[in-house]
Amino acid sequence: MEKVEGDAGNFKITVRKKARYVDDSKCTGCGSCAEKCPTSVIDDYNEGLAERKAIYKYFAQGIPSVFTIDAPHCRQLGQGKKCGVCAKVCQAGAVDFEQKDQIIEFEVGAIISAVGYQVFDPSVIPEYGYGKIDNVVTAIEFERLLSASGPTGGHLDRPSDMKTEKEIGELKKQVNKAGKGLQRFEEKFREASAEFHKKVESGAVSPDDEQVEWMTKYAEFAGMESRLHSLEEKAAKFDVATHLAFIQCVGSRDFRFYPFCSGYCCMHSVKEAIIAKEHESRTNSFVFGMDIRAVGKGFEEYKVRGGKESGIQYIRGRVAEITEGPDNNPLVWYEDTRVREVKAKEVDMVILATACSPARGLDKLAGILDIELDEYGFIKTNPINPLDTTRKGVFTCGCAQAPMDIPESVAQASSAAARAAELVIQIEEKQVA
Amino acid sequence: MSQDVLVIGGGIAGIQASLDLAEMGLKVKMVERLPSIGGVMAQLDKTFPTNDCAI
Repeated sequence: MEKVEGDAGNFKITVRKKARYVDDSKCTGCGSCAEKCPTSVIDDYNEGLAERKAIYKYFAQGIPSVFTIDAPHCRQLGQGKKCGVCAKVCQAGAVDFEQKDQIIEFEVGAIISAVGYQVFDPSVIPEYGYGKIDNVVTAIEFERLLSASGPTGGHLDRPSDMKTEKEIGELKKQVNKAGKGLQRFEEKFREASAEFHKKVESGAVSPDDEQVEWMTKYAEFAGMESRLHSLEEKAAKFDVATHLAFIQCVGSRDFRFYPFCSGYCCMHSVKEAIIAKEHESRTNSFVFGMDIRAVGKGFEEYKVRGGKESGIQYIRGRVAEITEGPDNNPLVWYEDTRVREVKAKEVDMVILATACSPARGLDKLAGILDIELDEYGFIKTNPINPLDTTRKGVFTCGCAQAPMDIPESVAQASSAAARAAELVIQIEEKQVA
Repeated sequence: MSQDVLVIGGGIAGIQASLDLAEMGLKVKMVERLPSIGGVMAQLDKTFPTNDCAI
């Protein structure tokens, strides 16, 4: 969004259509470009848990089914290097490095702002260890781990274990490279590095300068190989996360951050625990909350079913701190208020039910739309007209207005459509008359 | 004067609003900053309380 001028019934809109560097009328969505693209980028869709290419689709089933080049990360567009591999392999001739942003102007009678929300960043709660303890994740990251289309294919692999696997992969490459570096010495001196090393150690041989260099390289290689073996031994014992702790009200109902309740997080924690149990029958989950809010059609039954059938234990207590125990297992420190005891629970993974924050850039959009925001940064509305913003002709719905779940967002969206239609349909009638 | 409607945001709320407007015969222009529509819902595995797929 660039500019909004005019008023209800008669808005003049200026929008910047960002360049995809792909002609969306030609692209068939086949993906050959992404296969060959040499540049990997951290994948935001997978919450940083996976990588994608510089030419990409946000997610596989995304509509429009067209690829986009992430220009700052593209070798050709962003780094001035010679590449263009995607253009070469594209059979539809859809890649267009010359494409520019387009400024588009049009008129509308009403505007609906349905910009959603963003997830609260729990790094501002240092006692929860997010960002420091590998196996403490946010609920949205956990959704990606649970998804069959996610980075782990739905297996609850622990982030600390995935980190180790990655280290093993890189070490293997380094060990290979170092091993190849030893070959020229072994060929010249017609002896295996290990054998020569034994001779030097026992004093049977005095190495010359070149042989000293050889033995130094061998020592590096042997050190790396030994580390690789110990990591591989550790990795052989890895298992999926089966003991899960869900921490409610992370950023919500908190005088330091948002005093409001984010509404949907108790429910999504129950859901995630139920789905985790479906994926792995050994799963047991602990949901730590002040109360577990299940307001909505079928929600209370769902919560109770979660407890009875999906191994969920609801613990009444607000988690004070999360520390890291042995084997990268998080330790959850809490007061069990029913027995008034401070306890620590060791789990495989902690999932933080993070608060609902206003969408990124909403303050800037509010300036463009000339509408007011409330004290938390959501779009200001009136309880009597909950879809009307402070400007006539501009409506809002869903999480842009306040935290809410999917059924509520959908209901509000239909209502906002009705409000907008009420306004624009009247205009035509007046004109005809 | 225009009967068209601008919907800012291509998540579930924006999509639902756009569909309802279109069903009424009104023309909708949807603006979405990400390369695809779908919003946060596209990142979810299943939704409560039915455990239906999100996408």
